[in-house]
Amino acid sequence: MEGQDPEMSRVFIRSASALPVSEYWAKSLADLMTDAAIKAIDAAGVEKVDKIIVGNMMSGYANHQEHLGALLASSLGMRGVEAMKVEAACGSGGAAVHEGYLSVKSGEYENVLVVGVEKMKDMDTPKATKALAMAESSDFTQAVGASFISLNALLMRLYMNSYNIEEELMDYFPVIAHKNAVTSPHAQYRKAITIEDVRRSQVIADPIRLLSSAPSGDGAAAVVLSAKEGSVEILSSEIATNDLIVAQREEPLRFLATEFAFKRAMQKSGISLQDIDFIEVHDAFPVVASLALEAMGISKKGKAPQDAANGRFNMGSELPILTFGGLKARGHPVGATGAYQIAEAFMQLAGTAGQNQVNGAKVGVTHNVGGVDTTAVIHTLRRVE
Amino acid sequence: MIPIAYWRNRKVYTRMVGSKCKDCDAEFFPPVRICKKCGSRNMEEKEMPRSGSLLAYTKLSEPAQEFKEYAPIYLGLIRLDNGVNIISMIADADEEKLKAGARVQATVRKWAEDGKEGLVYYGYKFRVSQ
Repeated sequence: MEGQDPEMSRVFIRSASALPVSEYWAKSLADLMTDAAIKAIDAAGVEKVDKIIVGNMMSGYANHQEHLGALLASSLGMRGVEAMKVEAACGSGGAAVHEGYLSVKSGEYENVLVVGVEKMKDMDTPKATKALAMAESSDFTQAVGASFISLNALLMRLYMNSYNIEEELMDYFPVIAHKNAVTSPHAQYRKAITIEDVRRSQVIADPIRLLSSAPSGDGAAAVVLSAKEGSVEILSSEIATNDLIVAQREEPLRFLATEFAFKRAMQKSGISLQDIDFIEVHDAFPVVASLALEAMGISKKGKAPQDAANGRFNMGSELPILTFGGLKARGHPVGATGAYQIAEAFMQLAGTAGQNQVNGAKVGVTHNVGGVDTTAVIHTLRRVE
Repeated sequence: MIPIAYWRNRKVYTRMVGSKCKDCDAEFFPPVRICKKCGSRNMEEKEMPRSGSLLAYTKLSEPAQEFKEYAPIYLGLIRLDNGVNIISMIADADEEKLKAGARVQATVRKWAEDGKEGLVYYGYKFRVSQ
């Protein structure tokens, strides 16, 4: 563990909010982030914040709106406050929390509001598919017709071929996600599903099916970070990147960004694998959850789906994941997802997770990804005793 | 597709021009500015071999908007004969022949068009050669 620099502040989470992920036809992008922000500010009991950071991926393309920092500050009536947007594709929410963490840690800011927001339902499906593809190269990947889901489909096929894994075994991840979402107050799909349901669902990009891919939706989640007080402390916050063009990776089945970020986050936090009580892993597709858990050293190479099938990641087991439904069932409003994970980890560690509570949770990890492990954001968090 | 971007990249799209490192001989596609193997900036243009083997493929039923009229489209992850991986649309796809290890050959086909009055974009696609 690295020594604590006396000039650096510790970083606490003072409050969190998470709107139910849904299709908000009657609400705007500004409405969603304002709703989440007001809830978090009121719960924190602060009059004002010193800085606002908005995590968002696609507002320019989806909602014809940029300048989200100033938009939210205006909406909150906080004239004069510093505010900006942070973008790292589907990792935008986690990256925004990272920037908030650094701001507080630096000692320059006492209270920082971080909001993750995405309003995807202003787009039809082909436009949303285009928006998601922007996480990869415009010139060399989008140009040849490859969408984001098709890149993951190729990776999943390669993974299954390399480790001789049956398609069915991959489906335990969506089943776990949906099971946990049944009692999750902010989940988009509060309905349990079976392996058979996944097998019967429509193929989107073979072998990925409708029920093995995270849905699109609208949502916003917020946290107030503080240098002074909060029931949860962020121990470390790390971001790493991998080749933008998936085809250019020498080892496509190695999630290098997750490996780097997780290793650094664990070193700086001083915790070990055995200390982790739950992980919010980025389960955009089963192959992503699998390769991430393997990159973190939690599962052996090619064994994460079997671990999932064996019940290792269920609530009440050794290492629960996706405790409020994950991307698959809580929903995946892309630029908001990383903020949802932090809000969920806060609820677990503050002991306010209700029916989804991981009993006695003291330490949690969140894993948020932009692109195909192109940006990985890891946070380690601990309950303040 | 952004018309001017198509023009900028025409060598890459039609002749599959990538890069070769003059220091360590590593090859890349699409082109890179700095060698991903040795870090050298001493790169030159290099046309890729036009044949390779299929590693994996997917049939995409919901492509992004500029390709939606061609759905479903087939995409392959291909290992070219110089060891470089490439993701490409597959032309004349026949699922019986699309197996891991199948030999594939590059050809130039239509990728997409910008409506009735816009440009028509052409570029490489691969098809099973045997």
